Amino acid sequence: MKKNYGQIYTLPLTLWLTVFFTIPILIIVAISFFKKGLYGGVEFKLSLDAYKALFNPLFLKTLTSTLFISVITTIFIIIFAIPSAYYIARSKKKDFWIFLIIIPFWTNFLIRIYAWIAILGNNGLVNNILIKLGVIENYVQFLYNQWSVITVLTYVSLPFAILPLYSTIEKFDFSLLEAARDLGASKAQSIYKVLLPNIKSGITTAILFTFIPTFGNYAVPQIIGGKDSVMVGTIIARELTVMRNWPLASSISVALTIMTTIGVLLFSNFNKSKTEELRELKRGIK
Amino acid sequence: MKKIVKFLAIAYAVIMLAGCNGQKLFIYNWTYYIPDEVLKGFEKEYNCKIVYDMFTSNEEMFTKLKAGATGYDLTFPSGDYVSIMIKEGMLQRIDMTKIPNFQYVEKSVLEKIKFDRDQEYSVPFMMAGSGVAINTDVVKDYKKDMSVFSNPAYSGRMTLLDDMREVFGYALKALGYSVNSVDAKQLEEAKDLIMEWKKNILKFDAESFGKGFAAGEFVAVQGYAENVFLELDEAGRNRTVFFIPESGGPMYMDCMVLLNGAKNVELAYQFMNYIHRPDVYAKICDFLMLPSINIEARNYTKVKTNYTIEDLKNSELKENIGDALELYNKFWQDIRIGN
Repeated sequence: MKKNYGQIYTLPLTLWLTVFFTIPILIIVAISFFKKGLYGGVEFKLSLDAYKALFNPLFLKTLTSTLFISVITTIFIIIFAIPSAYYIARSKKKDFWIFLIIIPFWTNFLIRIYAWIAILGNNGLVNNILIKLGVIENYVQFLYNQWSVITVLTYVSLPFAILPLYSTIEKFDFSLLEAARDLGASKAQSIYKVLLPNIKSGITTAILFTFIPTFGNYAVPQIIGGKDSVMVGTIIARELTVMRNWPLASSISVALTIMTTIGVLLFSNFNKSKTEELRELKRGIK
Repeated sequence: MKKIVKFLAIAYAVIMLAGCNGQKLFIYNWTYYIPDEVLKGFEKEYNCKIVYDMFTSNEEMFTKLKAGATGYDLTFPSGDYVSIMIKEGMLQRIDMTKIPNFQYVEKSVLEKIKFDRDQEYSVPFMMAGSGVAINTDVVKDYKKDMSVFSNPAYSGRMTLLDDMREVFGYALKALGYSVNSVDAKQLEEAKDLIMEWKKNILKFDAESFGKGFAAGEFVAVQGYAENVFLELDEAGRNRTVFFIPESGGPMYMDCMVLLNGAKNVELAYQFMNYIHRPDVYAKICDFLMLPSINIEARNYTKVKTNYTIEDLKNSELKENIGDALELYNKFWQDIRIGN
């Protein structure tokens, strides 16, 4: 007699997700459809005001710029993460490098952001070195603009891209690269045509793990951003507290959740079909 | 392993014993607002324990309580939020006969209060305002007003608070209006002035302007004196001038309020009375370097404050502006995002 214990095993997880994930999301969705209370909270009258407010051109502008920042950040992250992960996977001191990647997590997130002020500030490390070396005469204003936000966001999420990429690349059969070279592919071709397609699932995970948190980030633009750095996360927090507009804060969150979910579904589907194609191709060859 | 278990057991026993001894008072207060020695002094004198939670903005405190946080006895909202919390029925009436030390609070200060005219629900704690800190090593010519922010010579090295009421308050005052104005035309004018300031500032910042100022990165900041001076060393303090613009600005009166559902009401009264005991209140003022609204306590203060009650004569307490907040927000979004 074989009994299926699966449901029992997953019960704690199901309960956990229901209580701390599903219910809060349902509450947020519900709040977004009510009329806002003058001093926070909601009046229990149905209203679509919070969704109409999403079409405010200023909000759409923030959304576009947040999207821009997140896409650029993700691109940078992937560009940095693939070579790092590749190096670690081929290195003899894997554990040591992975350890180094994980160390920053021991320090509080906010402290790591403030550390960037010490590095990039006008009296910071980089400026001082550049001035000492005579490269520049006066300090360069690195901080408090869109690019400093992108720099720090890239830094914050980089480990989340390196780790999944590392675990995929580690499983990659490196002799395939040699085979490609033997069959006449250039170094670049062997990377683009053999390595990258084979680690696609790792790249997908890396993109999702970095794009989504970046999109909703709130602390970095607040601390490192300049006078025009407003991201969607900042707006949600401000609507909830300063403006006491709970429905609007909720409707923005709902819109973001829907957008990211659709994005993730499209993205992973697109990817799945590609990997399947690849597998079939392999099978065909065999 | 055994040792750890032993240690935990002992720690647990100590905590339980300490907890059982006398009552507990649950306070929800701003960060760095009451020095530890004052809290310790109260615990000792009244044989009780204070459980202390902290917030960094009225909004944070209010949102948390509104969303259903319970268990606190006392909290410290600013005037505009006192008014909101009264309207929302979140506060208990105060029986002033239980706070005899309240008699020391300056009457002319109380006259400025509109949010709770007769102190039915709130006990004034501290009156203060934001101002402008100037690094005099760099900024040589400045007037005691907001004009420094219009000076392109310091462009990119100044910050304004990331707080719509504070920034609008100073702009409105500079134009001769009230900090509580809800007139769209006056706000439009104020917006134009703020846009002029915005050209020269590096960022709107309510979090790290003190650190940036201390590091020399910013040479003029709008902000709170305590945030600035806590970061400065001796040399830094000597080169810094802090002033409240002469045309005045928004100021705040933080008050002690008794929350509905408070369980330790008697102890809370004792605490409020203790805070206004002149020698105790003087310690708080010295710690914060803020002027004393308690007349008697002025005989005990030792530290020179960064400004006086007199400097605030043209300033106005921020009042709750109700749904006109939307109007402010519209202009504020124009400023922050719209160009």
